[in-house]
Amino acid sequence: MTDHLAQSATAPPAAIPQSDGSLSCPHCGAEVAAQEAFCEACGGALTPTAAAPAGAPDTMAPPIEITRSLKTEDEDTVVVARPCANCGGVIGADGYCETCGTKAPTERDHYTEHPASWVAACCDRGLRHHRNEDATAVAAEPTPGSRAVLVVCDGVSTSLDSDVASLAAARAARDVLVAHRPAGLGTPASRVAAIAGAVVKAVSAANAAVIDKTARDSDNAASCTFAAAVVEADLVVFGNVGDSRVYWLPDPGSGGDPTELSVDDSVAQARIEMGTPREEAESGPQAHAITKWLGRDSPDFTPRTGSISVQPPGWVVVCSDGLWNYASEATALQSLVVEISAPSSDPLTLAVALVDWAKGRGGKDNISVALARL
Amino acid sequence: MAEFTAEVYQNEFLPEGGTDVNAIVTLTCSGAGSAGQTGSGDAGEIIIVDTSGSMGRTKLEAAKVAAAAAVDQIIDGTWFAIVAGTHQAYLAFPLVRSGRGMVQMDSNARYAAHQAISQFRSDGGTAMGTWLMLAGRLFDSVPGLAQRHAILLTDGENHNETPEQLTNAIHSVTGKFQCDCRGVGVDWQVAEVRRIAQALLGSVDIIPEPDQMSQVFAELMQQSMGRGIADAQLRVWAPQGAQVLFVRQVSPTVEDLTSRRVEINPLTGGYPTGSWGDESRDYHVSVRLAAKAIGQEQLAARVQFAVGDQVVAQGLVKAKWSDDEGLTTRINPEVAHYTGQTELAEAIQEGLAAKAAGDDETATKKLGRAVQLAEQTGNEEATTRLRKVVDIEDSETGTVRLKRAVDKVDEMALDTASTKTTRIRG
Repeated sequence: MTDHLAQSATAPPAAIPQSDGSLSCPHCGAEVAAQEAFCEACGGALTPTAAAPAGAPDTMAPPIEITRSLKTEDEDTVVVARPCANCGGVIGADGYCETCGTKAPTERDHYTEHPASWVAACCDRGLRHHRNEDATAVAAEPTPGSRAVLVVCDGVSTSLDSDVASLAAARAARDVLVAHRPAGLGTPASRVAAIAGAVVKAVSAANAAVIDKTARDSDNAASCTFAAAVVEADLVVFGNVGDSRVYWLPDPGSGGDPTELSVDDSVAQARIEMGTPREEAESGPQAHAITKWLGRDSPDFTPRTGSISVQPPGWVVVCSDGLWNYASEATALQSLVVEISAPSSDPLTLAVALVDWAKGRGGKDNISVALARL
Repeated sequence: MAEFTAEVYQNEFLPEGGTDVNAIVTLTCSGAGSAGQTGSGDAGEIIIVDTSGSMGRTKLEAAKVAAAAAVDQIIDGTWFAIVAGTHQAYLAFPLVRSGRGMVQMDSNARYAAHQAISQFRSDGGTAMGTWLMLAGRLFDSVPGLAQRHAILLTDGENHNETPEQLTNAIHSVTGKFQCDCRGVGVDWQVAEVRRIAQALLGSVDIIPEPDQMSQVFAELMQQSMGRGIADAQLRVWAPQGAQVLFVRQVSPTVEDLTSRRVEINPLTGGYPTGSWGDESRDYHVSVRLAAKAIGQEQLAARVQFAVGDQVVAQGLVKAKWSDDEGLTTRINPEVAHYTGQTELAEAIQEGLAAKAAGDDETATKKLGRAVQLAEQTGNEEATTRLRKVVDIEDSETGTVRLKRAVDKVDEMALDTASTKTTRIRG
């Protein structure tokens, strides 16, 4: 454990130790972990008091090194309070500008993850919603194209505490997928089956995390979607519940077609399968109503899983509908990626650019993008 | 140790283009302690008794008993004085001609004060402005008084001063002390005395019968002695470019504070609230903002409770623009309730003024509206008082008839109580 005791007056407060050994958020009192840079419950900024755990639950032989994006990544970093984004004024202790009153964005409203040079994610509130109920959780081995886990969960905005639940779900799923270690060499088919099995387990863990974050007496149980991709060299195994998506977008001219790998559990998808043209189905009534989700009131959260052997170079994209609402077809998303990423192939730059692009198109929903460059 | 809390009741959601944010902020003080006993400075009390000729024997004797009862409630160590008022103002106690015009309470002072009170004789006219100015000078003669409170008793109109003279006198003492005012009988002017009480952060009420005076005086003094927080201020911060439309106390009584703003800094205004005991008061704050885009959130006001220079509690009034009509069209019950209670106070006062001016049509309309509002907001006390002035045909529609014969006491009681509000039902 590394202690981060160096703090300035402007750094966010650290979690408060409780008598039972747990830590509580100084803003809202919810339980937090030592390495967290913000509270999952209220989004308040925290100064982590420990580095991210280097190992996944399987500590005997951690399959990959995880590096979580923390606000304070080394001991010497001092978090400086940012001025108001609207007027440049001072942000008060209550989280609002002391001059113009604008709410300072919380860490939960916008964050990025960049565990390895070839993998990144960006998660953002968008423009029209008051909370960011989307969540991403990614992990990767350092070697480009080796092994990565990308998870996106989209909280259902009509339910309570969906922002807390979705983040817990995404992290729980990521941890299961990171911990999964294929036994032996096996055939390609058995590898796929093993990873797909891990995806099913990850969904169960995510579902348990959502229920755990749901108040027992809540009459509006928290719920969220799930989409994940596990990359092992050129093998991509994916799964989803609800309408968050996984795409494979090869670079143009490298052979192969851009493909939407996941299949939505949505009213729109049901209509497409009955023959309604995609554009009409996706803009029709109830198009965004999902037919499967995670949470206490979910009758069925079995993911649809699949796999593909890809031919790099290209991008694995896992995203929420806050992005694909503005570019649904795989070809449209491919063109967009080419347009805004070229000539760079840095995943963090692209993830942030895609989020900004969706905000430029109206930002009607929360936006999440997780990317792996192959 | 005193504790303070601030709670905010509002609908923070605004529709597209929405600009006006309304909130009720409840400030609560507990553990206030006693006046002058909390180490923050001494307390001073002045009892002002009308001894004009109109008091006559009955009222004057009752006033003596009342003043003595008030003296008995003053805690030892409190600085005090007694003023007898006619067309002039006399320092009845302590018997000094220069130096400090107040003494600290102890058993000797209490005995001497009783003696002085027993010497009251009714004679002369009424000049309340002069009484107030003497009280102001007496408070000023004792340096370092943290808390200054007076009780004023009158029985008649302010015959010996012009309204301007009274206005000037009120101005000259505003902020120097608080004053609770009581009128005995029915020959005084509610509007005139209310003017004094409002400016001096005090209450106004009628004492219909002379023999009720001593209980009222004892209670007023007791209440004042229970106010351990000498002076507190309501502060309202609003963002740059915003406009504070109004700041009102809405409970226990309606008082518009908007014009009493003093600048703390360019974005923050301070409003005096006087001394506090263990109690809650509700404030209605209304702020106009520049509309922002859907999805934006900002602070509309920080409502703070300050004792001295120390902010001891803060409530946040927020604005969130949303395209969800289910959220933006919700009416906050507290805001609606107090908006109704404020209009109720205005309707009663305007209705009685019209009635006094012989404009029965306006009086019927206004008092009818008052009956309707009292019904809607569950203010049963107001309904009971209104019933003594009008015959109610239908309280839901506000259909009333002016009573032919109204007891003057009932009309004045309705007037003085018009600003009293009830808290929200349930």
